[in-house]
Amino acid sequence: MTVATGPRLSRRISEGVFLVFCWIATLVAVLALAAILWSLLSQGIGGLDLNIFTKSTPAPGSEGGLLNAILGSLMMCAVAMVAAVIVGILAGTWLSEFARDSYYGKVIRFLNDVLLSAPSILVGLFVYYILVAPLKGFSGFAGAVALALIAAPVITRTTEDVLRLQPVALREASVALGAPMWRTILAVIWKAARAGMLTGALLAFARISGETAPLLFTALNNQFLSLDLTKPTANLPVVIFNFALSAYDDWRRLAWAGAMLIAATVLTVTVVARILAREPNRS
Amino acid sequence: MNVQVETPQETAVLELPPETVKLQIKDLNFFYSGKQALFDVSVSFAANAVTALIGPSGCGKSTLLRTLNRMYSLYPGQKATGQVLLDGVDVLGPRVDVAALRARIGMVFQKPTPFPMSIFDNVAYGVRLYEPMSKPDLAIRVEESLRRAALWEEVKDKLKESGLSLSGGQQQRLCVARGIAVRPEILLLDEPASALDPISTARLEETIAELKRDYTIVIVTHNMGQAARLSDHTGFMYLGKLVEFGETEQLFTSPVTTRARDYITGRFG
Repeated sequence: MTVATGPRLSRRISEGVFLVFCWIATLVAVLALAAILWSLLSQGIGGLDLNIFTKSTPAPGSEGGLLNAILGSLMMCAVAMVAAVIVGILAGTWLSEFARDSYYGKVIRFLNDVLLSAPSILVGLFVYYILVAPLKGFSGFAGAVALALIAAPVITRTTEDVLRLQPVALREASVALGAPMWRTILAVIWKAARAGMLTGALLAFARISGETAPLLFTALNNQFLSLDLTKPTANLPVVIFNFALSAYDDWRRLAWAGAMLIAATVLTVTVVARILAREPNRS
Repeated sequence: MNVQVETPQETAVLELPPETVKLQIKDLNFFYSGKQALFDVSVSFAANAVTALIGPSGCGKSTLLRTLNRMYSLYPGQKATGQVLLDGVDVLGPRVDVAALRARIGMVFQKPTPFPMSIFDNVAYGVRLYEPMSKPDLAIRVEESLRRAALWEEVKDKLKESGLSLSGGQQQRLCVARGIAVRPEILLLDEPASALDPISTARLEETIAELKRDYTIVIVTHNMGQAARLSDHTGFMYLGKLVEFGETEQLFTSPVTTRARDYITGRFG
């Protein structure tokens, strides 16, 4: 009996130690998140009023809001998402349905993964050199291009992954009826995978909505309300960056409010994506 | 004692009268990226009859079926040589319009594969590809197909519901309805009942027996009872070769080859 309890006891101890470490790690992660949310809420709630949505960024000491930044961010994200969704879905479809494990497929997949983890400041610099510097001006379009470059690989990856999950038999069933491949993809495969594809797009949107570095070099900022994407365009991340580092209390309050807006948006989008991801393919 | 002298044949393939032949396969070899899966298969399938293909797993039954509608063309590594003559025209030829060919040859798979759309749209899918027709005509075609697949009574009040909402057996009959809605000449069934319960299987078999009047049917099955019940001709395959082909009754009661006899009496496989 005593012989048997020896290894068992040590095993139980090591299991206990392991569990405790897991708990501590989880606690640290959750506490960090809670601390971030707490500081966001406690600092941001004071700055949140109707002016945020109705007035543009003010000069120090005067009354103002974030309207220009909110609109600028929305416009750039919208343009970026349109481009990224088109490119990402088509590229993901090509990888999943046509290239599969061919040589070119593998190369493109690898490059896409590299792009997926490229530092966003690099993307910002890249767009600065190909668009901003030659055209001699910061612009909302350049910002949208930078954001699209960050979103497209995310969408490509998720699209390929969800398309690959669709059963081979589904493709063959459509093809067996005499449907050409493009028709099969459009009417059957995309339809079967649409919830997953939408989830991928939403996650990409959540990713770019808070990106600061690529916009610093491209869209820059604009004090005034402007709907012209060929001009420098205000946006929440850069406004937060500028205002948070300023010496003025009212600017810092606005920075906190803006941060809270972004956090709330990302949270909402992520929750929606979760719900959508749970929904599909129930038979 | 049997006085007949036993001369066990290696292979025995019945020649069908040419006028009854719908599909004729000549010297068919098949390769999966270099690995040969079918060896010199030559056989004919009769029109308006059911031909069953039996044999142990991996013997090439499904592969043979998938060459008939060129399903293998989807995959770059797969290759077939020889001839498959459909009404005298070689479907393996390079100038064949594969999509149009597949519209003439329906296929039902092992697992039900309803599309993620309504029951109505599932059945109409193939029809919309090749025959532009008015809404009322399409509705008639859909009803007719569902009736023939013995599914109409169960779904007539919920045609707008998703095809995925049906039970497994119903889904499989939906796939049959979808296949016959395009009015193909040939119906290929790849173990269509293997995922179904006995009652659904019985209903599917009734459907197949009923469809035989208008279609040339080739069915791959692991269920010997099913082959015996449904088919007019049976082919027994082993290791990529067609070992014996003949009248179902004859093949099941007095097979000529040793291999077929051993398989049918349950000595292997």
